[in-house]
Amino acid sequence: MLISIDWIRDFTDVPNLPAKDIYSRFTLATAEVEDVVTIGEHLEKIVVAEILSFEKHPEADKLNLVTFKISETDIRKVVCGANNVKVGIRIPYAPLGVKLPNGLLLEAKKIRGVLSEGMLCSEEELGFAEESEGIMELSQDAPIGMNMLTYFKMKKDTILDIDNKSLTHRPDLWGHFGMAREFGAIFETPLKNKFTKEWATGLKKHFTLDSSPIKVRLDGESAALAYFGLSLSNVVVGESPEWLKVRLKACGLRSINNIVDVSNYVMLELGMPLHIFDRDLINGNEVVIKRLTAETVFKTLDEVDRKLEVGDTVISDTKGPLVLAGIMGGLHSGVSPATKNVFIEVANWKAALVRRTSTRLGLRSDSSQRFEKTLDSKLCERTMLRTLELILELCPGAKVVGGLEYGGMDLSLIPTLKIKTSLKKIQTVLGLDLSEEKLLSIFHALDFQTEKNNSEFFVTVPSYRSTKDVEQESDLIEEIGRIIGYDNITPKSPQDIIAPVKLTELQKIQRRVRDFMVLQGKSFEVMSYPLIGDTLLKHCSWPHSTSLKLVNSLSQEHDLMRPSLIPSLLEVCEKNIKHHDRFRFFEIGRAYQEDAKNFSKESLHLGAVFVDKDKNPFIDLMNVATNLLTSLNLSPEFVEMNTKFENALVPSEWIGIHPFEYQNIRVMGKFAGAVFSVHPLVLRNLKIKGHVTVFLFDLSLFTNYSAKDKTKYKPLNKFPISTFDWTVVAGADSLASEVLNACKKVKLKELRDVQILDVFESENKKFFTLRATLLDEAQTMTSEVLKSAESALVDATSKAGFNLK
Amino acid sequence: MKIFCPYKVKNIYEAVINMTHDLEKIKHDFLTKLHSLTKEADILNLKSEFTGKTGVVSELLKSLKDMNPEERKSFGPKANELKDFITEQCSLFLAKIEIEEINKKLALDRIDISMTENIQAKSIKSGGYHPRTIIQQEIEDIFLSMGFDVLDGPHIEDEFHNFEALNIPADHPARDMQDTFWFHDPQKTPKETKKYLLRTHTSNIQVRGMLSRKPPFRFIAPGVVFRSERTDASHEMVFTQLEGMMVGKDISVSNLIYFMKTILKEIFKRDVEVRLRPGFFPFVEPGFELDISCLICGGKGCSVCKQIGWVELLPCGMIHPNVLKAGGIDPEEYNGFAFGLGLDRLVMMRYGIDDIRHLQSGDLRFNSQFKLF
Repeated sequence: MLISIDWIRDFTDVPNLPAKDIYSRFTLATAEVEDVVTIGEHLEKIVVAEILSFEKHPEADKLNLVTFKISETDIRKVVCGANNVKVGIRIPYAPLGVKLPNGLLLEAKKIRGVLSEGMLCSEEELGFAEESEGIMELSQDAPIGMNMLTYFKMKKDTILDIDNKSLTHRPDLWGHFGMAREFGAIFETPLKNKFTKEWATGLKKHFTLDSSPIKVRLDGESAALAYFGLSLSNVVVGESPEWLKVRLKACGLRSINNIVDVSNYVMLELGMPLHIFDRDLINGNEVVIKRLTAETVFKTLDEVDRKLEVGDTVISDTKGPLVLAGIMGGLHSGVSPATKNVFIEVANWKAALVRRTSTRLGLRSDSSQRFEKTLDSKLCERTMLRTLELILELCPGAKVVGGLEYGGMDLSLIPTLKIKTSLKKIQTVLGLDLSEEKLLSIFHALDFQTEKNNSEFFVTVPSYRSTKDVEQESDLIEEIGRIIGYDNITPKSPQDIIAPVKLTELQKIQRRVRDFMVLQGKSFEVMSYPLIGDTLLKHCSWPHSTSLKLVNSLSQEHDLMRPSLIPSLLEVCEKNIKHHDRFRFFEIGRAYQEDAKNFSKESLHLGAVFVDKDKNPFIDLMNVATNLLTSLNLSPEFVEMNTKFENALVPSEWIGIHPFEYQNIRVMGKFAGAVFSVHPLVLRNLKIKGHVTVFLFDLSLFTNYSAKDKTKYKPLNKFPISTFDWTVVAGADSLASEVLNACKKVKLKELRDVQILDVFESENKKFFTLRATLLDEAQTMTSEVLKSAESALVDATSKAGFNLK
Repeated sequence: MKIFCPYKVKNIYEAVINMTHDLEKIKHDFLTKLHSLTKEADILNLKSEFTGKTGVVSELLKSLKDMNPEERKSFGPKANELKDFITEQCSLFLAKIEIEEINKKLALDRIDISMTENIQAKSIKSGGYHPRTIIQQEIEDIFLSMGFDVLDGPHIEDEFHNFEALNIPADHPARDMQDTFWFHDPQKTPKETKKYLLRTHTSNIQVRGMLSRKPPFRFIAPGVVFRSERTDASHEMVFTQLEGMMVGKDISVSNLIYFMKTILKEIFKRDVEVRLRPGFFPFVEPGFELDISCLICGGKGCSVCKQIGWVELLPCGMIHPNVLKAGGIDPEEYNGFAFGLGLDRLVMMRYGIDDIRHLQSGDLRFNSQFKLF
């Protein structure tokens, strides 16, 4: 919103501080000033000059060398391209150093070899017209040397552009009068309130005893809170006076005609929108305010057909809607140059309903923007009288017919809000020493009345602040704090008890997982969107399942909550395979499932992926997974796919699972993860050539659990370790784990471990050389003990079908 | 005086000088010979020629016993020194020869010591944290050190925790400011149905956090939030925030300023000027926008701060009594402050990232720039 300081000065004496000081104080106390523009500064330096002579530029046909005076003794020369140069005319001259509204800064320069000291200006260059031809001719009696500001009886002005969002909660600041009160409180200058009772009584003398030609009727419940109507006759629609146009322009509005301009002016001054009808275009003798009972198409002032729905509030005559309540008038009944008689509407509307309709229509007008902040119905009358005052000033022949017509609630029933507070409480919450005198002066400057009762105050909130902004004590504290300035509060550490804090188990685990995956897994952490689309799911051949779906997504690419990290991870693979032949990454992210009871269930998963175009990374990732889980003090078991016990992390019906490269991870008896390679068929769809292995693990396991470190010290061995190697023959498809599992059947207290020493393949057979480690902690093993252990091991492998070579 | 001496000398002094001269000569002879040898056996022979039982030096040492004490005192140590020198030099030369021999063998088994992982096209070289993780952990640690717990909560939230409990009733304009992703059409769903959405801010943790503990307490809640916003270089529909609150007795605006200044000093690793100006957020009253003096120009005004000298950094304020009530806390007894911090913005500031969309692109050309090794 644009605010004119000149306009503010109608109501309070803003001190003559640099613009920067004004806006920074305002920003700190009230609302953010986004921009400051000074207007008219250039006009102060541009003066009336008289042309004495001119000659052709020696080097350019179209340019003249003009000699002129700005006083009897000060004669200057400029190069000028205008074709209306005449000896004796008076024209505006901008000397060096002036910055014109179009941004041009006048500097001494040579134009085709001739020095030019400034510029003779056109209307366009002065900022008076969008486009103009030639230099501006002033009247012949324009005093030579007089500046343009004086000559045009204009004032310099500073315009503040205030962030609308920071005024969301301040309906009272949507007009200059309310802003002036704020400035008065900030700069400690009194408010000049001309809108007194006497002023109102004076204006009401224009009312007549005639019956109003247009009555007001509220038909049932609607958006209306209060509706005032007033009829005037014999208005003369014409151009607005210069002062009115200047102010509207300063605030970003275009002048239309004097009547429309008055309605905008009053809105910008008092913050309450109003509407003026051409009364002769109202059919019948009343306006009816009601909610629509059928869909209607309505052409608003901006000549757009709007589709109105059942329930929208409109102001209608006998033929149909005239105004869309609180938002915009209709094209048909607006004021035109032919208008003679008018009907003025000043009303207040329910904020939520105005907002709902305007949001639906995508039509946010100056009017709806204000009503949706919740305005004060008590301000309607003042707004009406100010409108009347201005119309009478601009059209002295206009006459009121009848008096105020009213529909709506009894405004005297609006309760007055009183809030109890105390100096001590305000001091405590702000953490600031504050005198009672200062406190009261701030309340009074903001129009809050106070009654003292022992150490407490009862503060009466003005009606225009209590529509929703000020409700309770904390709101009062804010008023004091912001006017004092938060800069004046000294930072202090609170006096508080000390309590230990620590990360939760899940948070610690997440950090350890990240560290492990980065340092040991040599992987990069990625973060992908939790929102995915059906296209991606199809692309990954993800089995059909119901994913949680947004109703108002921005695109179909991102309208589902991912049921698993796998599709996201595969998308990352797809994206990166174009640039890299091998890469590793991981993500700690959430998967989202439907939940009958709580609507949704979110679980935190680790997904790590190794991709390699040539070398199968399965074993590498298995190693990382095993070591990671072991380092977390879990004892992971790797088991083969089992259709009886479904692993919730990897749906068994998904065709993306590799037939051989798959291991479920069981932790504490539960399936909590898996390591698997992605089936080439799915990889083909993703245009990935090579191997993709995924390690998925459910970290939600740690939400209420911490795995203990079970490490225990044991005395160092006193007796020698003995090893025994033997080689067995196995089928080509046999796995090392199958051979080792056979050895697990041997229960001997001396048997520590059996591992693979060597493997070689020949003639469709595999030869595994095994090494068993034997130790007795209590004594040196006898050869008999060793012998029987060896034969037990060989028997065990043979029994499992792996004969001794 | 009887003189027994292999040298014919006039007096004791002359004898000592001559003997010393001989020692020099012997040493010189030894070194000349040693340097011409390359075989282990030759060196061993040389060693015995000089220091063996009948070696030159040994003979000299034997003659010591026939010398008078003065001569012995002067000549003895020198002769012993020479013996040690010869023994030592021989060992050195022997070792040198042995090393050369081993080195010859090592030369047959040389590895390419320049073939480190980082020059191999097919190696997996590095790993690294997401930049968000780096900044988030750094900030979590700062808050932990100041007594704040770290909380998190659901992304899929109900209207109560995301809006109502935070003093944002239906039809409140603040709901417009936060374009919400819904799982139910709010217009078409019956009022009594609980409506779910994607949390629009981490403030949803405020009420959950308050209900789960007793004042006084402090906590932060970092995490991703969702807004139905068109994405561009500076807007994301999924981004990270950090919410924080402190509740206790007689908490004041001056405490809030103290905490913010201290924490920002830690985050930016230097003193930061802050200013509070009024800001409107339904869940705080009074509410503030906290600005920091521009870190680029130091407050003089530049293009980054739009010539103002201040940069808007975080919204904060004293917790609204209605919010305390929703969290089961009596606003008459306790109060507190709350604040929000946009983590992605800090990430972008720290690393000079020009496009927020990189953060969730999963493009390793981006992520690999944050390699740890």
